[in-house]
Parts: sequence; C-alpha cells; structure tokens
Amino acid sequence: MSFWEARFLWQEPMLAALLGAALLGYLGFFVVLRRIAFMSAALSQLSGLGVAASFLAGSFAGIAPHDETPWWLSPTTFAFLFAYAGAALVTLPSRSKRVSSESMVALGYLGASALVMVVLSSPRIAQEAHEVGDLLFGNAVVVKREDLVQLAIAAAVTLSLHALFFRSFLFASFDPETARVSGVPVRRMDLLLHLTLAMSIAVATRALGALPVFGFVVLPAGAALLFSERLHLVLALSVGLSMLCAALGYYLSWTLSLPTGSVMVALAAGVFALGGLKRGLERLR
Amino acid sequence: MDLLQLKEVSIGYRRDRPLFAPISLTIRQGDLLGILGPNGAGKSTLVKTLLGLVPPLAGTVGLPLQRRPRLGYVAQGARPDFAYPLSVLQVTLMGRAAHLGLLKRPASADRALALAQLDAVGLAALAAAPFRSLSGGQQQRVLVARALTAEPELLVLDEPTSEMDPAAEHALLSLVSSLVASRNLAVMFVTHQISAAAGFASQVVLLDKAQRTVECGPTEALLTSARMSALYGRPVEIRRENGRALVWLSAGEPNVQGGAR
Repeated sequence: MSFWEARFLWQEPMLAALLGAALLGYLGFFVVLRRIAFMSAALSQLSGLGVAASFLAGSFAGIAPHDETPWWLSPTTFAFLFAYAGAALVTLPSRSKRVSSESMVALGYLGASALVMVVLSSPRIAQEAHEVGDLLFGNAVVVKREDLVQLAIAAAVTLSLHALFFRSFLFASFDPETARVSGVPVRRMDLLLHLTLAMSIAVATRALGALPVFGFVVLPAGAALLFSERLHLVLALSVGLSMLCAALGYYLSWTLSLPTGSVMVALAAGVFALGGLKRGLERLR
Repeated sequence: MDLLQLKEVSIGYRRDRPLFAPISLTIRQGDLLGILGPNGAGKSTLVKTLLGLVPPLAGTVGLPLQRRPRLGYVAQGARPDFAYPLSVLQVTLMGRAAHLGLLKRPASADRALALAQLDAVGLAALAAAPFRSLSGGQQQRVLVARALTAEPELLVLDEPTSEMDPAAEHALLSLVSSLVASRNLAVMFVTHQISAAAGFASQVVLLDKAQRTVECGPTEALLTSARMSALYGRPVEIRRENGRALVWLSAGEPNVQGGAR
C-alpha cells in the first residue's frame, strides 16, 4: 500500500503534527528570543508528571489509566494544572538572589522527570506503566481524535490571545523596563505568555511526544532567526519550517520505517544547521 | 506647570538603609535637570523611583496633574537584545505603547510621528534597517527617538550619551535642549559628564555618596569647582567663558568641553 493509499491511517496524525508544529514554531519565536528553551522542556516534563499524578489519583478512586475519568481527574486537567503551576512559578519575581529563575526551571525539569519515574513505579499503577508511557509523552505515529481536538482548541486560544497582545508580548520581551514605564503590565504579559506556552506544550506533548515538542519549540525559530532579520519573515519562516519538518518527517518515517518524532527533530536540526552555515558564510564575505 | 513633586522622599532598596537623606524636589515643564554624582551614589535609583519602577521607602511622589505625566525613558546602558529581528522603525514605534494601550495597533499617524522623531535624531534614512545592524551610538539615538515618540511631558534619560562620541553627544544634548524650548517638556538626564550638566542643564541635582546628601538648585550656583571637587574627591575646575563651561578634571588639560548655553 502506497503512502497516499494509506492516507486514512496517517491523516489525523499528520494533521496533529502540522497543527502542533505551526503552533510550537510560532511560540518558539518567543522561547528562543527570551532564552527559555529549557523552560519548554520543563513544562513538558511537568505536564507529564500531571498525567502520571492523575493516574495515581485515579488508582485511589479505582480508575484504570484507559478507563473513562471524570473531567476533574482526567490526565488533561492534571497536565494543564501542573504545567500552569510551573509557568506561574517561573514568572513570579525571584526574592532570592541566590536562586535564579534558570535554577528554578532546572529544578522543575529534574524534579518532574524524577517524580514521573517514581509515580510510575508505584505498585498502584505499575501494571499499566507500559501503556502510560504513550499517554504521558505521546506518540506522533498514532494520535487520538480527542488529542487532535484539544490541540486545535489550544492553538485557537493561543493564537487568538497572541493576535491581541503580540505587540505587548514583544515590547515586554525586548525591553521590559521601558515597557513598564510605558504602561505595559509586563509581569501580567509574561504570565499570559508563559501560560499559553504551558497550555500548548501540555497538549502537544500528549499528541506528538516530548522530543518533537521540544524540537519544534527551539529549532525552527532558531533557524528562522539565522535566515532573516525581518520580524514578519522570521515568524513566517519559523512556522513554515516547523510545518515542513513535521510533514516531511512524517513522510520519511513512514516510507523508511524510522521513528517519527526523531526524524522530525533531525530534519529541524538540519534546517538549523543550514541557517548556521548561511550565517557563517555571510561572515566570511 | 508642575509635573512631579517629591516630598521628603527616601530612596533605596532597604527600608533600614536609604541611599541618602530624604529629598524634596519639584519637576516643572521647561526644566532641564541634570543629575550628577559618583558611581553608586543612587542616580539611577532616584530616576527609577521617579518613574515608579522602585517604590519610595518613605515620603510621597505627588502628581500635580492628577495623573502620571506622559513619560519618555531611555534606560542606563540601554542595549536591548541584539537577537530581536526588529527594524529601527519598529523599535521607535514601541514608544507609542502608552497611547495605543494593549490592544490598538499603530496607525499611519503613529508611523509618521515615529519617522519624524527618527528624523530629529538624524536617523530617518535608516528607518527600515535592522536595529541590531546599527552602531551603539546610533542605537542610543533610536532609543531617544522612541522616547520622543511617546510625546512625553517628562523625558528621562539615564546616561544617554554613554555610547556616543563627543560630536554625537553634543548633537543629542543640543536636540534635547531645543526640545525643552519648542515642546515645553521637562527633561531629566543622568550624566557622568560634568560638562554636559554645566553646558545644558538649567538645574542640577547632586548626589553626594560620601555625605549621603542631595542638593538641588540652579546649575551655576551648584556646579562650582569647590563643590565638584568635594563631590568627586579629586580636583575639578570649572570655568565659564562666553557662555561656555570648561571643565578640568585634574590639574592640567581640560578633558571635557561644555556646550553653549
């Protein structure tokens, strides 16, 4: 069966990959420029910890990971809560000069990564742990309709908020002190930006997997910034390159029987390297 | 017209450790106020307190207009991130943030205003250029244009000429001086250049780190050789000739020349 003939199998995962790539490619513009790449990895782990925590909570309520759960106990609700809490904590002003926000992000990443393993090793849910892996960190090959819908909603909410507040997000990121003097509520804008990032990462991680999410957030935007110095072109390239890597990556993984998420990220890394090569050649001239 | 009134304001970051004695100061339209003092005296902290970025430890910052005056601000060592892919015009347009609020987009009138301010600082021809491709001095002038795009009633410049050569410094301070007259705005600038304050400021605020005191008053009364020597702890000589202020920082050659006033 050719790739095209098998489209009924890959239509939804491909759509999820394209939607996630576009959303994360756009958000990557802020992630890269604000130098919070590691925060996106921490949010991904925190949302995973939320999912694991919901299974643990469900086990106390007698609910197995694959069973229907009430909304307040659902993995999605917990993933959002954990990611939002992480985003809010990072946005809060640090009162300690000894603990930087970077250290807080590292704490979130390491703590969440370790706790996920601890929770999954709990005898209460250990027998389902092999199923929990995909539920935690997704799998770009097979995407559930429910995950695709959640991704579409997250994209619509995020892009609507960014359409309204893009100028303020940009000013608050570029020059926060002057933005404050100009009446921009910098801390609230930072929080809103981080919450949209947390929501998008929490949903995209479950749909696509942790590795592609981290890759799409960092690499296409980084490459776009190497290819252009024009704001609108950088944004368009970031989204476009991200979607290109998602589509081509899915196709190559299908035809060559390679791991989907890894191929997508490898392509994005290749595009980033091309950007670096272009910039290097410009400097040599 | 009064724009800001400081009444017995204590400034600093720790309530038990104010940087200097309480300060009372009124900033009026048409004032050109220079703030001088050695490193670490609290010049930038004073500016941030006036701007509302740092809360006063005691006392009140009064608003005679019953609202905050419209502010234009260039921060100390303002070297925004080079990574941002913004044009000179896009950076300048950020100055419209207070007028546009969170949701409105800049209109053609805003762009025209931003271009006019770039023209005023001599950079209109570079409006489309990437901001990061400019030299440090040019970037500083763009940030001044951005502050002017806010149509400020009070323009606050924290060491605005630190990246500039003497010619660019003189041109910028002359521009600021002419704006005070033509737009009737108030300007407050922090500087390490005694000559800049002597040449352009109508009033000065002296922050004495050793004595932890603040003095405010007319430039010619406060910027004297004896007062400056005490402030900086080294011989300073100031002479005024034909409307120009000449400043010697140590015995011998004059290393800085003040502008005409």
